[in-house]
Amino acid sequence: MPSLPLFLSQLFNGLATGLLLSLISAGLTIIYGTLGVLNLAHGALFMVGAYAGFMALQWTGSFVIAIFGGMIGSLLVGLVMERVIVRFYYQRPPEDQILVTFGIGIVITELVRLSFGGISKPVPIPSWGEGITRMGFLFYPNYRIEMMVFVAIALLALYLLLYRTRLGMIVRAGIEDSLMVNMLGINVYRIFLLVFGIGAMTAGFAGIVTSPILAVTPDMGEVFLVQSFVVIVIGGVGSFPGAIIGGIIAGEIVSLTSMFSPAYSQVMLFAVMAVLLAVRPQGLFGIEGRE
Amino acid sequence: MSLLEIENINSYYGDSHVLFDLSMQINEHEVVALLGRNGAGKSTTLKSLMGAVKPQNGVIRYDGKDICGLPPYEIAQLGIQLVPEERRIFGSLNVEENLQLAALSEPRAWSLEKIYEYFPRLLERRRSRGTDLSGGEQQMLAIARALIRDARLILLDEPFEGLAPIIVQDLLRVARQLADEGRTIVIVEQNVAAALSIAQRVYIINNGHLVYEGTPAELHAQPEIMHEYLGV
Amino acid sequence: MMLQRLSRYSGGRPWVAELITLIVLLLCPVVLPLVGISADIASRILIWGLFGLGFDILFGYTGLLSFGQAAFFGTGGFVSAFLLTQTGIHGVFLALMIGMLVAMAAGVVVGFFTLRRSGIYFAMITLAFAEMFHFLELSPLSAWTGGENGLTGVPMPIVGFDSWHFQISSGWTLYGYIAAFFLVGYIVAHRIVLSPFGQVLTALRDNTPRALATGHSVRKYKLTAFVIAAGYAGVAGGLLGVLQSYMPPDAVAFHTSGQLVMQSIIGGAGTLFGPLVGAALWLGMQDFLQDIPFIAEAWMLILGIVFVILITAFRQGILGAVKQLVMKTEPATAPHATELSAEISRRTHIKGVPDEHPNQDNIPDHFFRTDTPTTKPDLLIVPKSSTSEGIALACRNLTKHYGGIYANEGITLSIPEGQLRGIIGPNGAGKSTFFKMLAGEVVPTEGQIFLHGADITGLGVTAVSQLGMSKSYQINELFSKLTVEQNLAIPVLARLRGEFRTDMLKSLNQVPGLRQQIEATLDLVNLDQRADIPVTELAYGEKRRLEIGLALASAPNVLLLDEPLAGMSPRERADTVQLLKRIRAGRTLIVVEHDMDAMFELAEYISVLQEGRLLAEGTPEEIKNDKRVQDAYLGGIEEA
Repeated sequence: MPSLPLFLSQLFNGLATGLLLSLISAGLTIIYGTLGVLNLAHGALFMVGAYAGFMALQWTGSFVIAIFGGMIGSLLVGLVMERVIVRFYYQRPPEDQILVTFGIGIVITELVRLSFGGISKPVPIPSWGEGITRMGFLFYPNYRIEMMVFVAIALLALYLLLYRTRLGMIVRAGIEDSLMVNMLGINVYRIFLLVFGIGAMTAGFAGIVTSPILAVTPDMGEVFLVQSFVVIVIGGVGSFPGAIIGGIIAGEIVSLTSMFSPAYSQVMLFAVMAVLLAVRPQGLFGIEGRE
Repeated sequence: MSLLEIENINSYYGDSHVLFDLSMQINEHEVVALLGRNGAGKSTTLKSLMGAVKPQNGVIRYDGKDICGLPPYEIAQLGIQLVPEERRIFGSLNVEENLQLAALSEPRAWSLEKIYEYFPRLLERRRSRGTDLSGGEQQMLAIARALIRDARLILLDEPFEGLAPIIVQDLLRVARQLADEGRTIVIVEQNVAAALSIAQRVYIINNGHLVYEGTPAELHAQPEIMHEYLGV
Repeated sequence: MMLQRLSRYSGGRPWVAELITLIVLLLCPVVLPLVGISADIASRILIWGLFGLGFDILFGYTGLLSFGQAAFFGTGGFVSAFLLTQTGIHGVFLALMIGMLVAMAAGVVVGFFTLRRSGIYFAMITLAFAEMFHFLELSPLSAWTGGENGLTGVPMPIVGFDSWHFQISSGWTLYGYIAAFFLVGYIVAHRIVLSPFGQVLTALRDNTPRALATGHSVRKYKLTAFVIAAGYAGVAGGLLGVLQSYMPPDAVAFHTSGQLVMQSIIGGAGTLFGPLVGAALWLGMQDFLQDIPFIAEAWMLILGIVFVILITAFRQGILGAVKQLVMKTEPATAPHATELSAEISRRTHIKGVPDEHPNQDNIPDHFFRTDTPTTKPDLLIVPKSSTSEGIALACRNLTKHYGGIYANEGITLSIPEGQLRGIIGPNGAGKSTFFKMLAGEVVPTEGQIFLHGADITGLGVTAVSQLGMSKSYQINELFSKLTVEQNLAIPVLARLRGEFRTDMLKSLNQVPGLRQQIEATLDLVNLDQRADIPVTELAYGEKRRLEIGLALASAPNVLLLDEPLAGMSPRERADTVQLLKRIRAGRTLIVVEHDMDAMFELAEYISVLQEGRLLAEGTPEEIKNDKRVQDAYLGGIEEA
């Protein structure tokens, strides 16, 4: 049996990974909930955030500016994507939406590969993130703690936006019935664009804040895309609370399993999803019958 | 000039042709009943007016302006409001949020207090989520959403469907009050007697074609028309 | 004429296409080197084409978009490669077959979970499962799979028997070996698509709820299609190892699934050859253009852009576009199949083709056939299970709550065999919910339903349909991409074959009684002149009749009709009322209808619902004069 300190540190690790997954999945799930489009280019937008941040860092040398650069980069790509292609897909079958966003993801990834090459780009840990903090018996790299804080703040901001603002009220109503919102005099297409932009920006934010601890490559988003699918399947597709809880659950599964057997840590995540599907196909927070 | 002039609109649902060269006029301060059998095209007519269904051709002139083909939100901002058959209350929002959402894009929106004067029941239930309302309360809220927007032309699609007679009476009272205040109303209803009791003019649609126009009194005098097209 | 039509849609002479495929495959080694395509590329294209045959059955024909086919490609590949490199098995063919079976077994397991959901969920979950397989391959199973190194040293096949054998070597002989697999794979897939089994797959792609309601076990069909696709993937994966003498770990990776999806879309889904064409473009062009510096680097980008454009503007893909072009230019064999003749019949009102202009009342009555023709073939009726004591359908205390809302409460009634029962009630009275519970589409909160005395509560719509009770819907639920005749074949197949059968290699002509039953139904609902027309081209009244025909074709002895007259003109109504009278013989009919006149004319006995409860029952006379009923319909409002 692993020792208690190891267990606790893995629990903490799981929370860190989990919150990150929650954030990425939240972006995916609010886009799906509002627009009805499952965005398979979400992983590519995550990667765009990392590259845009990397460029901003190259130019300015400031990691804070890099964070904004990453957000703005993925926001712009997201907005263009919605205006140029995705908006013509709102009336098309879900399969077509999946296929086209999958295609867009490939185009974005390949464009980045052509421009930057396939070799990973170094994003150093900012100076204020160096070093290690001792938390009781737990030693933890400073940047990881700061990253957790960033992610938690972003999640909180997203929560406040959704539940405490007029825009959030419109978005929640739009998730339920976008035609009725439209008929009440609200330009839902502008809301769709905005939501797509916010979703893309969350992915980009996650991309840049994780880039110091990841290899920044054109394919870096793929693994997060797949994991966020698992998260929203566990949490219930289209549910914001589902994405948060699902993300934390997923993070803990990976982290705690790797304590016993690192080889099975990823496998266990999918196994839990399979079991949940058998028991509760609509996910933890999903509404039955919503396809 | 009528408030609303519909000229030869043709609407489709998928690939089935639902409205055929439909023309009608609605005058300001008028209550018009739109009757016909199930599937005759009444709801599609209202949806076409609201922009939720786009007529393939034809003209819809509202206050002199062609609104045919405009998106629903622009039509709503011009003062037309559909109260849909399914009511379409936002279940995850509470009563007050449903009303606030409706008021958002309307500069002349009413205050909540004024709405609650019309519907005291909604004041009692203002913190209840849409999903927890009874059918009658949902219908009240659906109408209230049109009122808070100070809609000039209200399109009521089967407002009495599935409601107990006593609630129907209650809603009829509200409808009469709105008519007395000079609001223009188009009402689609299976409950022919209820609709005729508040309407000044009647149109009957059959299979997507306009087949009758007259007053309730004239219609009552022609039982064979009632019989053929309405089955009563 | 009927024979010709049926054989036309059942593929007529399937071996023609198969023979052409054989000839093309034989010509490739001669022609392709001339245009600079190597045996290696040609073999690779065939492997992806074979992989795609299974995927097309799953996606193009059954409508299930899987993003996880790499799981089975990898499973088949690694199992075959493992057997050939790490065990005593040296027979390549044997190893490939075992690989295929293991991939199919994996398909059963994965399908069990993924098919619990459809649409976007299915796409996401299949992708997730494939990733799980990828991780399994990379790490926990690396002792068998070689982990990130893959498995090297996969041998070349030897064909023949003990005394005579032939060592296949790389190049065009290996191409021949792989081409043989592709040919067999194509023939099997082609036959599956044309079989009764394949017809059911397309039906559930078009309209899953209706396929369920006509009595097909949708889950079993979907799972079988999924397992077939896994089998194709498994063989293709195995052949990849053989071709390369090496089984690469990235065969299990996401981009393998993605490449398959893209190739299928580019080539055209639902054509069987689409994935092959897509692969030829992908791999062939890549090989062809690889010397041009920028193009080689940007090849994936170019493909991605092409893919996005195709999805947006040419969803049917290259082969789909070709097929459409051919169908437009090819003169139809049956004269009534052309749009022109459809237009003519619409204008001249032949045989009850609905009249869209009720004002034209000058059409002679004999155009609307109301009598029963003497030559009419008999429509099947399933024999009823006994023990019923003359009661066809009964329900006891039937109740349905949705959250706090009572849609139906405590409804008890019983309907004798052979009766035509009317169910009426104002809008919102709960008639639809009541009907859905009877048909098995909605599970009651409380109470029981008995069909011929047997408790059918909670059995589900498929079982209920198989037991002999079917329903026609208020809003048409047709198979939108099929013709009238193909539509009617779906319920008939459920009746003749049961809820599930794997007759994948049979042709439709081999289903005894299919033709007669379709013909009888067409005749009964007056659509025999429209048999070849895609349903999207039907007029509304014709669609309504086909809707009733779908319920009739499954040979029910109890028939539920939900507002059969909805939206019809007076003339069509009269026509449909006659139709209902004609189909009464031998059947129990339960009709929900708004049209009170039709109801009073037709029904022997009427039950009235109001606010979810049974308000009154009686003969039409009694109901007409019932004060409570009048009040219910008028909503308590006295007429002015």
